Amino acid sequence: MKEQSTDPTRRGFLDVFIGICSAIMGAFVAIPGLMYLWPAAKGGAGEEVEVKGAKNLSAGESNILQVKGKAVLVVRTNSGFEAYSAICPHLGCLVKWEGVKREFLCPCHAAVFDSKGQVLSGPSPGPLSPYKVKEVGEKVFVSAV
Amino acid sequence: MNAPGWMQRYLNSRYNMEVANTFVDKQMHKRLPPHTGWLHIFGSLSLLLFISQTITGILLLIYYRPTPDEAHESIKYITTQAHFGWLYRQVHAWGATLMILGLTLHMIRTYFMGSYKKPRELTWITGVMIFVLTTVFGFTGYLLPWNQIAFWATTVGTESAAKVPYIGGWLQYSLRGGDAVTGETLSRFFVVHVIILPWVLTGLIAVHLFLMRATNLATMERVGEEKKTPEECGIPFFPVHVAKEGVIAVLLIAVLVTLSVLSPWEIGLPADPLNTPPHIKPEWYFLPSYQLLKYFQGPYGAFMGIIACSVPFGLLLLWPMLDRGKERHPRKRPLAVGLGLIGLIGALSLGYLGHVSGLEKSYFGARYHFSEKGWPTRVADDAPPADNGGH
Ligand code: HEM
Ligand code: FES
Repeated sequence: MKEQSTDPTRRGFLDVFIGICSAIMGAFVAIPGLMYLWPAAKGGAGEEVEVKGAKNLSAGESNILQVKGKAVLVVRTNSGFEAYSAICPHLGCLVKWEGVKREFLCPCHAAVFDSKGQVLSGPSPGPLSPYKVKEVGEKVFVSAV
Repeated sequence: MNAPGWMQRYLNSRYNMEVANTFVDKQMHKRLPPHTGWLHIFGSLSLLLFISQTITGILLLIYYRPTPDEAHESIKYITTQAHFGWLYRQVHAWGATLMILGLTLHMIRTYFMGSYKKPRELTWITGVMIFVLTTVFGFTGYLLPWNQIAFWATTVGTESAAKVPYIGGWLQYSLRGGDAVTGETLSRFFVVHVIILPWVLTGLIAVHLFLMRATNLATMERVGEEKKTPEECGIPFFPVHVAKEGVIAVLLIAVLVTLSVLSPWEIGLPADPLNTPPHIKPEWYFLPSYQLLKYFQGPYGAFMGIIACSVPFGLLLLWPMLDRGKERHPRKRPLAVGLGLIGLIGALSLGYLGHVSGLEKSYFGARYHFSEKGWPTRVADDAPPADNGGH
């Protein structure tokens, strides 16, 4: 016994071996725990959401709804419907549609976007991303592109 | 301070109480350096506040419900129905603010007195960790009432997390428990706020106090040249310092109750994920970072902004390793004191600009509108007053 534990190479090997085994055991315990913390996806991929009362909107008016948990603004234009993400790319506040000026305005740090979602002024690093709009008879549906 | 006689007899006849008794006795009657005075109570103040937060937090937990449908209602129930519920909610909310203030003053004291120097580097480092975790405490607690301001402040706050280089998107997704702030976020913040942080902080505080006792308090002498003061010149922890702490405890209760009555925190409107209210701002202790982020724009702006906000905390954490000078007296440390003052003034100015940004304020009879970056422009006297929000 005494001889074994004082042999430096053997001892070093055992230290490394025990270290590796513990690391593998630790990983076995930790990985499922970390995966548990990662949110499991919710909602289908191509979710289509109906715009309630879409046809009652007059040109220049808007409606807000959620597609896969994300806020989307549907705007009635002179020719039809367009939809843009309402989430400001700056820090995530929801932009409002200003029907008279035909602009999107963010209440948080005053980012302004034109009617196509392009940045006009303010701190937003990018445009509002568009959503797909589908008209079926009297109904209007919005889905992610 | 001794246990009652019957309890001592009971324990002594069963255990060897020698070790425990000597330990308690030594700690209670420990001699502190002769200059220990009122400036040295901010640590105790922070500890008292942590204890108060724990007690009021547990009381709130009895009626609080961490779901989007019930959270706001349950806070309303606490403040309007539960006996003295309003008081506990107010003391908890004000306690959070005062705890951060207490910790800040404690850090200022130890920084300018050079107490962080050898052999107390680890005491300082655990202290900075306690400070940062306390701000996380505040951030997670703020969401729990699930009102408009909290919901949107959390949306903006977690959006900033997405700008952290490389891991930002992942970080934001795990913090929110999904793409947006939802009930999943509330659950996560709740668990962090009432289980994880209380225990982590309890552990860190225990280590901090142990280290503080192991090295005793610092004097103002040069590192490594401390003179050994004779026992009888030291200030006895009990009763002299404990008496000061008692005074502070009484004052603290008075201040907490006064603030709770005269300036109560509102409950606000319930969170509405489809409507952002105007003037979303974080709590005052996040205002300096919030404002600093605004000066970094363009393609690499967010990246640089996050770096600019992290550097001060990195410096703070590693400061004892960076400043290895032997002097403790502030007059002999012009560089450290200068940097400290610049940091303090910088944080205060940024905080103030963050506070007024986007609002209209009057100074000496003239009205000014402050841009998001905090630059003022004069407003004509006859212009209608701006909506400055209700808070
Ligand atoms: C140690 C144990 C703690 C527990 C069990 C606890 C528990 C709770 C609970 C249940 C709430 C929701 C009720 C409410 O919002 O009024 C809450 C809110 C809050 N907590 Fe804590 N807390 C603890 C410590 C702390 C600490 C150390 C801080 C900060 C430094 C803090 C800051 C806050 C804040 C800012 C709120 C929101 C207050 C409000 O708007 O009413 N808490 N906490
Ligand atoms: S979040 Fe929209 S401008 Fe900042």
